[in-house]
Order: sequence, then C-alpha cells, then structure tokens
Amino acid sequence: MYTPLRIDPTRALGEITTFQRKLAAGMGHLRGMHEPEYANTPRELVYSEDKLKVWHFTGHTTPTAKTPLLIVYALVNTVWMTDLQADRSLVRNLLEQGEDVYLIDWGYPDGADRWLALDDYINGYIDRCVDVVRARHHLDAINLLGICQGGAFSLCYTALHADKVKNLITMVTPVDFHTPDNMLSSWCREMDVDLFVDTMGNVPAGLMNYVYLTLKPVRLNQQKYIGMVDILDQPVELENFLRMERWIFDSPDQAGEAFREFIKDFYQDNKLVKGTLTIGGQPVDLGMITQPVLNIFAEQDHLVPPDASRALGKHVGTADYTQLAFKGGHIGIYVSSRAQREVPPAIHQWLRARS
Amino acid sequence: MADPTADFLRDYQALARQLWDAWTRQLQQSAAPQNPFQQSAGTTPSTNDTLERTLDGLKGYLDWMQGTTATPAAPGADWQQQMQQWFGGANQPFVQAFAGIDSTGAQGFGRQWQEWLQAMQRAGFGAGSAPAAPTPVFGMDREQQMQQQALAQAVLASAQATARYQTLLQRASAQGMQRLQDKLAQHAEPGRQIESLKALYDLWVDASEEAYAEIALTDEFRAAYGEMVNTQMQVRQLQQKYTEALCLQLGIPTRSEVASLGKRLQAVRRELRARDDAVATAVGEIDALRRELAALERRAGEKVAAKPARKTGVAGGSARKSATPARKPVASGRKVVAVPRPRPRVKAVAGTRQATAKAAGRKPISGPKTRATDTTHTPSRKRK
Repeated sequence: MYTPLRIDPTRALGEITTFQRKLAAGMGHLRGMHEPEYANTPRELVYSEDKLKVWHFTGHTTPTAKTPLLIVYALVNTVWMTDLQADRSLVRNLLEQGEDVYLIDWGYPDGADRWLALDDYINGYIDRCVDVVRARHHLDAINLLGICQGGAFSLCYTALHADKVKNLITMVTPVDFHTPDNMLSSWCREMDVDLFVDTMGNVPAGLMNYVYLTLKPVRLNQQKYIGMVDILDQPVELENFLRMERWIFDSPDQAGEAFREFIKDFYQDNKLVKGTLTIGGQPVDLGMITQPVLNIFAEQDHLVPPDASRALGKHVGTADYTQLAFKGGHIGIYVSSRAQREVPPAIHQWLRARS
Repeated sequence: MADPTADFLRDYQALARQLWDAWTRQLQQSAAPQNPFQQSAGTTPSTNDTLERTLDGLKGYLDWMQGTTATPAAPGADWQQQMQQWFGGANQPFVQAFAGIDSTGAQGFGRQWQEWLQAMQRAGFGAGSAPAAPTPVFGMDREQQMQQQALAQAVLASAQATARYQTLLQRASAQGMQRLQDKLAQHAEPGRQIESLKALYDLWVDASEEAYAEIALTDEFRAAYGEMVNTQMQVRQLQQKYTEALCLQLGIPTRSEVASLGKRLQAVRRELRARDDAVATAVGEIDALRRELAALERRAGEKVAAKPARKTGVAGGSARKSATPARKPVASGRKVVAVPRPRPRVKAVAGTRQATAKAAGRKPISGPKTRATDTTHTPSRKRK
C-alpha cells in the first residue's frame, strides 16, 4: 500500500525558498509598475446624459456593415471589459470585422442617481441612446448587443421597442434566474432587499466585489495571487494581470432603486421567464421579440450558469434563433485567446447574414 | 539533547518570517501613496490595494507552506492525520482565504459593519450600555431607552446570524478536507503520488471549492446568508434612526431628508420628460395635420386648375401648376384658407422625435432626411 504523499522535506524547503526568491526578484517589477491602461481604441463621444456616455469607436477602417451595433453593458463593473487591451478587445475585433460599433458607458452612479429605476434605464437611457444612433445613421432600427445584465436589459428593451431593433445579440445573459446552479440567485433569495436598499441607499461597489469573490473564495482570493508569483518576472504578463485586477476592482456603485427592482423582479421572482415582468407599467413579453436573436453564453460561467442563458430559446418569439456555446468562463469570453478567434467573427458573420 | 533537524526547521522558519516581514514592509512602503488624499480622490483602486490583496493571498499560502515544514511527513506515518495537521486548526488556508477577501476594493458585510460601527462608537453612539434583553423603561428618556434596547437586541441577532454563517463556512472547510482525502486516495499508487507542496495545495483548492459550492447552494446556506444580511441591515437602520433623531435635535439635515429630496427630484425629472414627450406629441400632430392640409390643398388646387383646363381644352398645365400651390390661398370646400408651409423642427431631441412619431401613428423617423420623405400618413383617431 502506497501513501499518496511523497513530499520530501528537503524538497519542500526548497520549494518555499524558490517561492520566496521569486517574490523577492519580482518585487522590483511590481514596484516600477504603473496602473495599466485599457486598450483605449480610438472613439468619439456622440451623446451624454447625466453620467452616461455613448461612444462611437472610430477604428482604422471604414465599417462595411450597413447597420450599426450598439453595445449595452451591465451596470456592474465597467464597460472596459469590452476594450480591455489591444490584443484582447471585443470592440477592436468587431471593428476589424467591419462592424460599426457604439457603446453605452454607464459611468459611476452616486447619491444623485439613487432613485434611478429600471424604467429610467431601459425606457429612458437606453431608448435615447438607441434613438441617437438611429438618427446618426438615418435608420429605423439598429443592432443591439447586450452583455450580462445589459443583455437582460436589451431583451426587455427589444420586447418593448421592437421596431427599433433589427437584430439582437445577447452575451452571457441571465434569462432564467432560478436554475439550481445559480449561486448568486440562491444567496439573494432570502434577502430583504427593501430593507437592504432602504438602509444602504446605493449599493457600494466594494460590497458587490466581495460577493463576487466569495463565489470562489480560495481560487479568486488566494490561488490567483500564488499563480501571479510565477509571472512576476514577465513584465507583459504581469501588466495583463494588473490590468485585469484594475478592471475587477474599479467598479461602480449600483443605483439603489434599480438594484432593488432587479433583485426582486429578476433574481427573486424570476419574472422575465414567468412573463409577469413590467417595466414602466408596460408588460415585458419575450414572445414579442420576433427579430433574429443570437444568444452567446459561456460553458464554464460561474456567474451566469449556461442553463440560465440557454432558457432564452424557449421563451423568445423569433423563428430565427441561434445559440453559441463558448468554451470558457464569464470573463474568458472577452479576453481569452480563443474568444478573440471565435466570438467577434461569429457575431459578424451572423449579422452579415441578416444585414 | 538537541535535535539538529528541529533546530534547523525552527531557524529556517524564523528566517522565512523575517524575510517575509521585510519584503512586505518594503513593498508596502514603495507602494504607499505620497499624497495622503490620493487614495480617496479617485474611484480607481490604488496599486497599494492590489498589493494588499496580493500580500494577503500570498501570506496565507506561505504560512501554510511553512506550517507543513514544522510537522514534516514522517515515513510510514498516517497521511490522513498528516492532512489534518497541515490543513486544520489555526493553519486553515480556507478561513484565511475567506478572511483575506476584505480589502479596499472588496468590503464584505463584516468589514462594512465593523467600520461603520467603529465610526459610530467614535462619534459617541453605541449599543454597548444597553441591556441585551428588553426591560420595562420609564420616564423622560423612555423613547431613547427603548431605541437603545432595540438596537442592542438587533446587534445580538446580527452577531448570532453571523456566527451561524461562519459555522457553515467552517463546515465547508471541514468537508473540503474530507474531499481532499478522497482525492488523495486516488493518488495512492506509484506515478500518481503528490510530490510537491504546490501540487498538494492545488488539489486542496479544488476540494475546498467543490465542498464550498455544494454547501453554498443549500437551502440552509441561503437562509443563513439572508439572515446575516437582514439582521445586519436591521442594526444599521436602527443606528441610522438613532443618529437622525439626534441630528434633528441639532438642526442637522439628515440622510432621510436628502433621500426624500432625491426621490422627489427624480419624480420631477420623469414628469418633465413626460411633458416634453406630450409637447412633442402635440407638435407632431400639428405637423401631421399641416402636411395633411397641404395635401388637401394641393388636391383641391389640382381640381380647381383642372376645371378651367377641361373647359378650355388645355391639357398638362394643371400638373405643373399643382407643383407649388402651398402659399397661395386655395379653395377648400366653401372657405378659402391660407395654409402656411409646415415649419421644420430644428430641435433634434431624439426622444421627442420618437414620441412625435408614435403620436403620429407612423414608424419612428430618424432624422431630417427621413422626415423629409415622410409625407401624409396620419391615423384616423388622431384626426378626430
């Protein structure tokens, strides 16, 4: 009978020494590092309102797509995941494919935004952003790309303003919030969200970050940094690591009222798939979405389980529904090498076939 | 009699500890902001915060590795017992990992609560003096005493809820250990044995995360989590009320008042937008009516022009004349009315335009070019 452990004490000491030596050697690199920049793909401001901005990415080539694509990101974290770094940029890749890309940058809500409701976001902000892009292109309808919570918003928007959306793409978008593997949903089910928002007002970004980290506490808070020691002597890799750290923790607070409604209606009551959701007094019926829909989700997503996204196919009204399963996680779908190869071309080809 | 191996390990650990402390000090000093306001000035987390998180993560790992050297695996020893020594007790990397999540960029319920409570206590508010159990209160301070009692009970309830939550974390940690042993059992053959601390650590991470995920998805965890959050919010809300009562006495504006103002302001903004939309709707209807009138006028003009043409037998003239009839008075039924040209709307407000389009009952129009080509369609209900 063998023991599973064959750790030689001398070798173990050597391992510790090596680890400390790497740390010491990497210290110089870390010390000299500045806050890494995002990709900053050239862009122009085409609309702003309160803290919101709509950016038009200009790129280096003239778009070949006839219909512009407006990206609607989630309210949590910043939109720059879509343009993280030059070689890991969804928007840059879409531009290179020939798409004409716009992006809603929600900014950082503060106390003045405490009472913004989902109606203000969906029928207000998003609708006005869509109108701006439509007006710029003299079009009745444009293409929408909704990401995560922004995907849920895009679904609601399309159901309510069907005539303004030509094609809809959803990425890592939760639709059915009650799948059994949805940890976030499980945790907030017993929360008294009224008490929570009445007490906290806006929801601090730090608290949101904490909750996300506790989904995988050891992996995200310890193992990740141990892995970093191995790249301390690789400036490029280290910069990429720190850039991702910046994105993870540089996140906005959540407007209290919108948070209250989103937790109650989506996470707790699962109204989007039950067909009982109303936004601004108007019923949101996914069956009203009859335009082509491309639903992209990540197979190893720990924030939005794949089944939560897959559910869209059962509820959406369109006869032109396409589903794309990406081999990766919630973040990898934007920044992994595989994502750069697979996702933007898939989006572009799907749109081109429906232009 | 001295044990050379034990002495070496002790010395090594002391040296490693000194190295770590020196390293940490140096790194933190180099990353410390020169400007004391730097950290709070922006929303972007500082490099210092990244380092804080990094160091917390690494420290747990280093502590664990050094702990393993203090109790090295003896040949032929019970490896399961060894695992308990390496991953149990005060050396639990799971608990350390969890505790280490709190930083500037990620503040958990516990940290937020503690910081806030400390701030309250520094300011002279607190629940320390109030009895834990409700007791009858009398006299002039009755209300205040009742508030203090409620607060003390809420603090107690919150502490109990947090303890229940922590118990589940401990259980996840213990079950992670069991899973690790199950996983290790699969390595008990030549060629598959674990030969490095890092490999053992990675296996432990897999086991811990699996065990945690299983517990974190249970109804029991859900209830404990909800209770922890709700009881903590209850404490904060009671403290806020307590503070506000004092502020009112001192004439200081309270958070409730600010929130109330914000709520009203947002309601006014919505009303304003609704009115803007209503005005745009009216303007749109007027535009549509003007276009309709212009079309009627044109048709009437064509009829008027066509009659003499038929009498005189001049063909083709009516079409040319009807091309510019709008400014001239034309016969429309019995009256002759002057119809001005529709005024172009210069205010390019997207939402307004949309509302206009909706009111006019046609497809939304997107810009001047589209509007110029959109002519006379007006739904009958709007014409009433």
